[in-house]
Amino acid sequence: MGNALADKVLAGHVPSAARVIRLLEDGDAEGRAALAALYPHSGKAQIIGVTGPPGAGKSTLVDRLISAFRKRDKRVGVIAIDPTSPFSGGAILGDRVRMQSHAADSGVFIRSMATRGQLGGLARATDDATVVLDAMGFDVIVIETVGVGQDEVDVIKLVHSTAVVCLPGTGDEVQAIKAGLMEAADVFVLNKADLPGADEAESHLQTLLHLEMNDREWQRRLVRTVAEKGEGIAELCDALVAHDTYLRRSDEFALRSAARARHSLFERLRDLALEQAVDAITQSEDLKQVLDAVTRREIDPYLGAAQLWHALKK
Amino acid sequence: MRLYVAAQVSIVCGHGASVGCPMPDGKSVESYVSKRDPIEQGASSDGGSDLDANFKRWETETLAPALESAPERKEKFRTQALKWDVNRLYSPRDLEAIDFDFNRDVGFPGEFPYTRGTDPNGYRSRLWTMAQVTGFGTGEDWATRADYMLEQGLDGLIIEYDLPTTNGLDSDHPLAAGEVGRAGVAIDSLEDMERTLSFDFSKLKHLTSVCNGPQPVNLAMIIAAIEKKGIDPASFTLQMPNAILIEYTCVGRYIYPPEHGLRVATDVIEYTIRNQPHWVPIAVVSAQLYAARANPVQELAFGFSIAMEYLDSVLKRGLTIDEVAPYFSFITGVDMDFFEAIGKLRAYRKVWARLLTERYGAKGEDSLRLKLMSSPGTMSMTLQQPLNNISRLSMQMLSCVLGGGGQTMTSPLHDEAHALPSEEAIAVGAAIQNIVAHESGTADTIDPLAGSYYVESMTRRIEDAVMAEIEKIDAMGGALQAIKTGYFQRELAREQFDRNKEIEDGSRKLVGVNHLAKDDEERQIELFALDPGSEQRQIERLEALRERRDNTKVDAALGRVRAAAETDENLMPSVLEAVKVLATQGEICDVLREVFGVYTPDSLTSGV
Amino acid sequence: MSSSSPSDRPRTIRVLLAKLGLDAHTIGVTVIAKSLRDAGMEVIYSGLKQTPEMVVATAIQEDVDVVGISSLSAAHMNHLPRVIELLKAEGVGDKLIIAGGVIPKEDGETLKAQGVAEVFTMGTETATIVRYIEDWWATR
Repeated sequence: MGNALADKVLAGHVPSAARVIRLLEDGDAEGRAALAALYPHSGKAQIIGVTGPPGAGKSTLVDRLISAFRKRDKRVGVIAIDPTSPFSGGAILGDRVRMQSHAADSGVFIRSMATRGQLGGLARATDDATVVLDAMGFDVIVIETVGVGQDEVDVIKLVHSTAVVCLPGTGDEVQAIKAGLMEAADVFVLNKADLPGADEAESHLQTLLHLEMNDREWQRRLVRTVAEKGEGIAELCDALVAHDTYLRRSDEFALRSAARARHSLFERLRDLALEQAVDAITQSEDLKQVLDAVTRREIDPYLGAAQLWHALKK
Repeated sequence: MRLYVAAQVSIVCGHGASVGCPMPDGKSVESYVSKRDPIEQGASSDGGSDLDANFKRWETETLAPALESAPERKEKFRTQALKWDVNRLYSPRDLEAIDFDFNRDVGFPGEFPYTRGTDPNGYRSRLWTMAQVTGFGTGEDWATRADYMLEQGLDGLIIEYDLPTTNGLDSDHPLAAGEVGRAGVAIDSLEDMERTLSFDFSKLKHLTSVCNGPQPVNLAMIIAAIEKKGIDPASFTLQMPNAILIEYTCVGRYIYPPEHGLRVATDVIEYTIRNQPHWVPIAVVSAQLYAARANPVQELAFGFSIAMEYLDSVLKRGLTIDEVAPYFSFITGVDMDFFEAIGKLRAYRKVWARLLTERYGAKGEDSLRLKLMSSPGTMSMTLQQPLNNISRLSMQMLSCVLGGGGQTMTSPLHDEAHALPSEEAIAVGAAIQNIVAHESGTADTIDPLAGSYYVESMTRRIEDAVMAEIEKIDAMGGALQAIKTGYFQRELAREQFDRNKEIEDGSRKLVGVNHLAKDDEERQIELFALDPGSEQRQIERLEALRERRDNTKVDAALGRVRAAAETDENLMPSVLEAVKVLATQGEICDVLREVFGVYTPDSLTSGV
Repeated sequence: MSSSSPSDRPRTIRVLLAKLGLDAHTIGVTVIAKSLRDAGMEVIYSGLKQTPEMVVATAIQEDVDVVGISSLSAAHMNHLPRVIELLKAEGVGDKLIIAGGVIPKEDGETLKAQGVAEVFTMGTETATIVRYIEDWWATR
C-alpha cells in the first residue's frame, strides 16, 4: 500500500516534500506515515554538518559550498537552523538570506527550521527532514546549526561529515577542544582567513590536529577560507567529497549510518517512552501523593520517580 | 505646571511680569521676584547651600501641597528618543553637578569648542541657505523644474536618482522594472546626465547629487557633462553624500562588500580634493540614521565613527588632516523633543571639534568647524491630519535655529506621506523657514539658550554619552567592523521595534494617531503616476545608445576600469574616460562587481 | 515538556516576509517580523532584491502558510501580481497573501481582485496584522 504524499516526494514534487517536513515538525501522524514510506529510500546522501559560533560566517560558507557542489553536478539540500524564542515559541529564521541566489535553482532545496525547544544546536525534526531530502534524491544535505555556542555536538551524531568553522583571533580553536569537537569533527574551516591572526590560528589548529593524528586512513584536515570572496571553497568542497569517498570505500559509511540509525532509534524510543510515561503518570492518582511528599521534602525526587515508575509498571 | 512656568518666567525675565498666578503670601509679584533674583544668588559664594535649603523648603512647603491636589500626569517623564528622565526643575545645582565652566563648555561662537555655533556672528550676518528637495521625473523634466525653482529664489538644488541608478543598474535590468524614473532621475549614460543638467547654471550656488554606491560614475558624468557645456566647476559647489557606510547600516543601496565600498568612496574623496577642490565629496548623512530611529547618541556616535573611518581611509592616501577635514560635511534631522534636538545640535559641533583635535591633532579652523545641514525630521510627521505636520515642522525648525542648525536647512513638505509635491506645500515649507527667520526673532541673537540649566545639562550629557559610545565602537574595531558584525544594524532594529511598540501601546502619544485620533479619517495615498511609456522610452534610448556608440572603445575603457579596480589605482580617471565613450552606469558598476564581489547581508547584519 | 500527544500540539504558523525588487526600506519588515515572532509564529525572512520567482520558490520550499510582501517603493504593481500568478501556477495558491507598505487605495483594490487577501498600509498596528493572520488560520 503506497502513501500518496511519499510517492509525490519520491517523484521530486517539492511542495509535497515541504509539506511532509512540516507535518513531521508538527508531530503529525500523517507525517509519520509518509516518513515510514520514505525511510527505506533514504541512506544514500552524504549528510554534512556545519557548525561554529555566530559571526563565523557559516551561512556565507554554506552559500558558496552550494555553488561548489552544484558545479560538480550534485543536488544539494540545506537545513538551516535558528533558535525558537523561549518566550513566545516563535522564531525569526534568517539564514537563507545569504543563500537566496540559489532560491530558484531546482537542484537546491533550502529549508529553514526553528529549534522548537530542542537544545544542542539542532531542531527537533532535523533528522526527519534529512530523511525526506535523502529519499527525494539529494546527493548532499548540509545542516547548518544554530551556532550559539561551541557546545553543539549533537550534530555530530546526526551526520556523516562534520565541518567546524572557526575564526582567527577568537580562540575558537580552544573552545572547540573543550566541546569535544576536536575528536569528532572531520574538517576544520578557518574562515575569514584574511583577518589578522589567521596564521597563528592556523598553526595552533595544525598543532592540535597533529596531536590527534592516528593511524586511521582519514586525517582531519584544516582548510583556510575567505567565504565572502569565494577563496578556499573549492578546497573545502574537495575535502568533503574526499571524506565521502573515504567513508564509502571503507566501512566507515556503513558504521556511521548504523550509529545514526541507532541514535535516531533511541531518540524516538526515549521520546515515546517519556511521552507515554508522563501521560500515564499525569493521569494517575499516585502523582499528587508523590509530588506532595517530594515538596514536603519527605522523599527525594529519585525515590519519588522510582515509586511512580513502579506503580506504573504494575 | 502653572506654578513652575510662572516662577521660571519671572526668574528668567527678572521683572514681575504677571502671568496670572496667585502668590501664596498675597504680596505683589515684584516683591516676590526680587527676593529670588538668580543673578544675586549666583554671585554669592554660599549660593549653593542656600539653594539646597531653598529647594528642600520649596519641595515640602510649596510643591508637596500642589501635588496632593494635582498629581503628576505621568508616572515618569522621559525624553522622547533617549528616554532620559526629565526633571521637574533644573537649577544651578545641575550645572554644578557637571562641573560647568562657561569658557570651557560654551565659549564663544566661531571658536572652539563651537558650542555656540561655527559662525562668529550666528545668523545675524547671513541667514542659513533655505533649500528644498527638487523632485523627480526624467532628465528634461528635472531640468525644467530646476529652472523654475532657481527663478523662485532658491539657490540650492538636490538631485535624487531612481533606484536602479543608485543601485548601479541600467534601466533595462530585470530588477529595475517599475522603478525607472520613479524615485528620482534615471541616469544610464552621460547623455542622460547632460539632459538633467541642461538648466541655467548661472543662478546655481549649490548642487547636491544624492548617489552613494555608484558615486564615482555619477561624479564622472557630472564632470564630463559640465565640461561639455563649458561650465566652470568652481562657479558652484557640488556636494556628494557619497555615504556608502550609512547605506550598509540602514538604507540598503549598497553594491560591493563594505571594504570595497569604502575604497570606492575614498577614491571619490581623494580625487575631488586633488582635482575639484571647490566641491564637497562627502556628507555623513546622520539624518538617515535618525530616520532609521537612531536616538541622538546613536546618531552622533555611529555617524562620527563612520566619518572617522572615511577620514582614516583618506589620510592613508598621503593627505594631512587639515587638508582633508574641511571637505567633510554632515546632514542631520531633528525630531519633536525640543530640548533633545537643541542639545544634540550643540553637542554635534562640540564632538566634531573634540574628535579632530584630540584624535587627529587638527589645527586648521576650517577643519574644526562642523559643516552642517539640518532639517526638521520626517519621522515625526503623520499621515493622519497632515495639517498638524505644519505645527510639527515649525517647532522643529525653531529648535534648529535655537540649537544652531548649520549653514543650510531643508524643509520637508507637510503632506509628503500621501501626496505629490504641490506648489502649495512647497510654499508652506518655504514659509515656515522664513517665518522663523524673520518673525520670531530667534535668529537675531546667537545661541540664546546657553546657560539654561536644562539645555547645558542636556548638551553635556549627550556629548559624554556620544564619546563613550564612540569608544565602545573603537573597541569593536571601528565603524567598518561594527557594520560587518551587524552592531549598528541590530541597535537600530531594536530602536525601531521599541518605538513602534510605544506608539501601539500608547505610551508615546502621537496626536492624530493614538491621541485625539479621528476614527472616520480616510487618507488617500497619492503616488507619482509614472507615465507608463517613459520607462519603455528610457530603455529604448539605452538600447539605441549601445548600438550607436563605438563599442570597441567602450570595451577598452571598461578594461582599464577593471585594471584600476584590481590595484590601488584611483578609479576616477578610468571611470571618467569610460563615461565619455558612453559606457553605461550599469556596465561600469558591473565591472566593479566582478572585481569586488557583491554584498548580501546575513541574518545578523540585516538587523531582522 | 507538554504531556499532550503529537497530534494535539498546536500547529505553528509559518510566514514568509519578502521585499521585491530594489525597495530597501526594512523598518516595516523588521518590526513586523518581530511582532509575528512574539505572537508565536515562525518567520522566514528572505532579504532584499527578491524576484517573484525567488519568492515563490522560497514559499514552496518553506511550506509557509502566509506570504507577506512589503512594498514602500511603489513598484508593487509590477512584481506582486507576478508572485500571485506563479503561486497559482505552482498549485499553492491557497496560501494567504498579504501586502503592506505604501500602497494607494486603487492599487490595493486591484491587488485584492487578483488574489491578495488584504493590504495593510503603513501605520497599521502590528496587532491588527497578527490578529488577521490568526483569524484566517483558525477558520481555514
